[in-house]
Amino acid sequence: MERSDFTELESGYLSVNHKGEELCGDHVQIVSDASDGSTTLVLADGLGSGVVASILSTLTSAMLSRMAEAGLSIEDGVETLVKTLPIARDRGNVAYSTFTVCRIEKDYTGYIYNFDNPEPVFLRGGKEKKLNYETLTVEGKLIKKAKCYFDVNDCLVMFSDGAVYAGVGETLNFGWTREEISAYLEGLFDPSISAKNIATLLVDHCDLLYNRRPGDDTTALAVRRRERKKCNLMVGPPTNPSDDEKVLSSFFSLEGPHIVSGGTTCKIAARYLGSSIEGSLDYLDPEVPPISYIKGVDLATEGIITLNKVVSLSRDYQGQNKAYFDWSFRQDGASQIAKMLFEEATDITFYVGCAVNPAHQDPEYHIDIKMKMQIIDNLAQELKNMGKHINVTYF
Amino acid sequence: MEKVEVSICVGSSCHLKGSRDVIEQARNEISRLHLQDKVELKAAFCFGQCGHDGVTVKVNDKIIPGLTPEKIASLFEEEILPLTK
Repeated sequence: MERSDFTELESGYLSVNHKGEELCGDHVQIVSDASDGSTTLVLADGLGSGVVASILSTLTSAMLSRMAEAGLSIEDGVETLVKTLPIARDRGNVAYSTFTVCRIEKDYTGYIYNFDNPEPVFLRGGKEKKLNYETLTVEGKLIKKAKCYFDVNDCLVMFSDGAVYAGVGETLNFGWTREEISAYLEGLFDPSISAKNIATLLVDHCDLLYNRRPGDDTTALAVRRRERKKCNLMVGPPTNPSDDEKVLSSFFSLEGPHIVSGGTTCKIAARYLGSSIEGSLDYLDPEVPPISYIKGVDLATEGIITLNKVVSLSRDYQGQNKAYFDWSFRQDGASQIAKMLFEEATDITFYVGCAVNPAHQDPEYHIDIKMKMQIIDNLAQELKNMGKHINVTYF
Repeated sequence: MEKVEVSICVGSSCHLKGSRDVIEQARNEISRLHLQDKVELKAAFCFGQCGHDGVTVKVNDKIIPGLTPEKIASLFEEEILPLTK
């Protein structure tokens, strides 16, 4: 049975630059059109590397996504682009930019157009499903076109040719073949890994094969249809202690896992649940205070310092995603929250208590209620930027 | 004999004032004085003593604020050892 209400698309990408370059010659653009519920994803690879490549791929992806946004059929858009793409005469008449574009309609039908990028890998149930490509000829250039349908947990991974050249001159004589990349993606398939992290795992492996000295800009762009999942986080006791009971009863009736952050908040939650707090003395990360255990609470952490760390992890996650390799397996409070909010959840409810915490009024350490609110605002905003559905209630 | 309960605050304020080092120092003292069977080290949240410099520790029912790693040896000598005898 189709339960489209409980699933949605999730996309993510990562690039590493050609060694020594500050700009990336690959460019990704993702446009979601609220009016028809479609999503258009473009990965463009500019010829060469550095500034020129960056301008060309940016131009290509901006034009394609802009045309898609304006309602032009993707096929017309691709034709227009191919007709206008400049040709490098001194490099054997190749176009200045190659691209892959995937448009996914509201009903999860996808259309892929590929112009000279490696063929994307479409995964169903952890195995590659070969798509039937037909070839369109536009202005003498060959464009591969395929149609697909995204079932739940289906994933499409697009990548630039930097991935298939990975290792040339460093660890592999002939680079990493598309077949090997497909096998690698099959091997790491797990519905609990986010699109961003799939892209990250692929690109990081390429980077590794290049001995961290990439011979080409390398980008992966993943899009998958995933189940929506809820998660709830409460931080801070309610302003009025007589509301504790009401607020906690409402919080614990919410569907999904419950995270409680803050010492005092943990105390009132434990009191409400009739559980005891089992504190831990183990500093798994010297920057993050230890977590505690309360029966009925999925994760109990310290408040402001832990959440501040989560904010910095969320910024990293949307950028080069370096810290993923730590938080994905570490068990400190911030790492566990990162995993639950960035990767597992799509719909997150915050219950924010506004009681003034005496611990936060210590002038020497410059933490106060304003700072706490700022951290929650920042975290909510970063999660929205990731495409999460956020609901914040203050008490 | 009941173990002496030593609870070290790991709340935000104490964390910033060095809970981690205080915990480490307390663990060192416990092994130095061979108190593994006599003292139970625990984590705790705010004891409402955030105004003090240093970390707050509770020894059985007695709250002792303002501790730094350097003060842990004398805390054991003066407050904890007598309770274990």
